Amino acid sequence: MTAAPMTATPMNSPILWIHGAALGPANPALVAWPGRPAVFVFDDALIAGSALSLKRLGFLYECLLELPVTIRRGDVASEVLAFAARHQADGVVTTAAVDPRFRQLGQAIAARVPLTVLPVEPFVAPEAGGPQPGDLGRFSRYWRRAEPLVWQRFKG
Amino acid sequence: MQSGDSLPELAPGDLPRQFTSRAALQQHLQQLFPSASGALSPIVGGWAAAQERLAAVDPGAYGRSRNHLAGAVTHLSPYIRHGVLGLAAVRDAVLGRITRRPEGEKLVNELGWRDYWQRLWGQLGDGIWDDQEPLKTGHPASSYASELPADIAGGSTGLACMDAFAAELRATGWLHNHARMWLAAYVVHWRRVRWQAGARWFLQHLLDGDPASNNLSWQWVASSFSHKPYLFNRANLERFGAGHHCQGCPAARRCPFDASYEALEQRLFAVTPTPRRR
Ligand SMILES: Cc1cc2nc3c(=O)[nH]c(=O)nc-3n(C[C@H](O)[C@H](O)[C@H](O)COP(=O)(O)OP(=O)(O)OC[C@H]3O[C@@H](n4cnc5c(N)ncnc54)[C@H](O)[C@@H]3O)c2cc1C
Repeated sequence: MTAAPMTATPMNSPILWIHGAALGPANPALVAWPGRPAVFVFDDALIAGSALSLKRLGFLYECLLELPVTIRRGDVASEVLAFAARHQADGVVTTAAVDPRFRQLGQAIAARVPLTVLPVEPFVAPEAGGPQPGDLGRFSRYWRRAEPLVWQRFKG
Repeated sequence: MQSGDSLPELAPGDLPRQFTSRAALQQHLQQLFPSASGALSPIVGGWAAAQERLAAVDPGAYGRSRNHLAGAVTHLSPYIRHGVLGLAAVRDAVLGRITRRPEGEKLVNELGWRDYWQRLWGQLGDGIWDDQEPLKTGHPASSYASELPADIAGGSTGLACMDAFAAELRATGWLHNHARMWLAAYVVHWRRVRWQAGARWFLQHLLDGDPASNNLSWQWVASSFSHKPYLFNRANLERFGAGHHCQGCPAARRCPFDASYEALEQRLFAVTPTPRRR
């Protein structure tokens, strides 16, 4: 959805940081690195700050139970870094997310170990004629550009 | 409850991965997060549950009925929000299931809304918490209350429809799009509460709670991200399926929604814009 990889450092034994915007088996980090240790961290500051209800946490937990991932809680960046140290990893691989909080956490992690952010397959292929940053004033304008590209895929 | 093949081994501080039942998971979470309110939702998380929902999607029926509370909406939002299903994968599933383009047009368009709000979030960042434009209600932003009144979240307004929506939100973490619009309009326009207070409340509960789709939809209702405030009336609510709440509603005879759009505009706004209706 966003951004190219933050770094392209070659890695041999990274850990995978799984976050709440990519809780499926098609998560590009899980697909690219099958079998590597993966961690999800319940973000204590976010949970308390937003007063998230138990059902939201339960939904995430049930998603995690279907993934090969170690589940932790606490300060996300420190937990991910500690998990990397625990597995003597030479980097962290994760998947892009739009949330500005993801970017902050990513920066905190990347300050200490190499971080690769894999892109997610976009809804609208980034082709010529597609929606540009200047097209987001209203949905109708965005959709005029996006709709034809989305329907190009229809083989009807 | 869980796949056995390659479970990671637990080290100190790792949270458990095996539970005998949902009740056991709930108990574990209550101990782990004592300040998180409520119980589990009947909506189950995970890829298997998402696949069941995806298999049930009927794009044609969706297009014909989506505005009705009992319409054939997909209930995919929590799975899409948390990337259990990618938006591109849902798109492909829809395109693969239809034979003629018109059957899929409505659903593909709604998926486009998600992509649109996400792109805007990328551009605006935490600015999605700020009014994008001045309100078009004629009321200064400062005249809106900054906290959500307790009777709204507690489901004790005495308005059967709004109380039912609040109860469903609290119990399940999901509401039909129309119920979200009505509830948001009630909070912002009838109760004159800042949209941010309503948005924060929704994010506590919605399993699909996403600051982009949520906040920008609240702004669309409020008119800080649209040309006109969104309004509804009782006839609209009855037409799209919330009318059964009116029977036995303690406020049925003094229903604040039972008026023409023109009368509501006069009552609720300091200017007389022509609100959008959906
Ligand atoms: C005040 C308010 C707050 C909202 N908050 C959220 C939110 O926090 N998270 C969220 O995902 N949606 C939100 N929506 C949008 C919409 O109500 C839900 O996405 C939809 O009702 C989810 O049910 P469904 O999966 O059955 O949707 P369907 O109608 O079956 O649509 C299929 C998918 O398309 C996407 N979609 C549909 N309509 C919208 C829309 N208007 N905006 C963005 N995406 C859409 C969703 O991913 C949805 O799962 C909000 C709407 C309003 C009016």
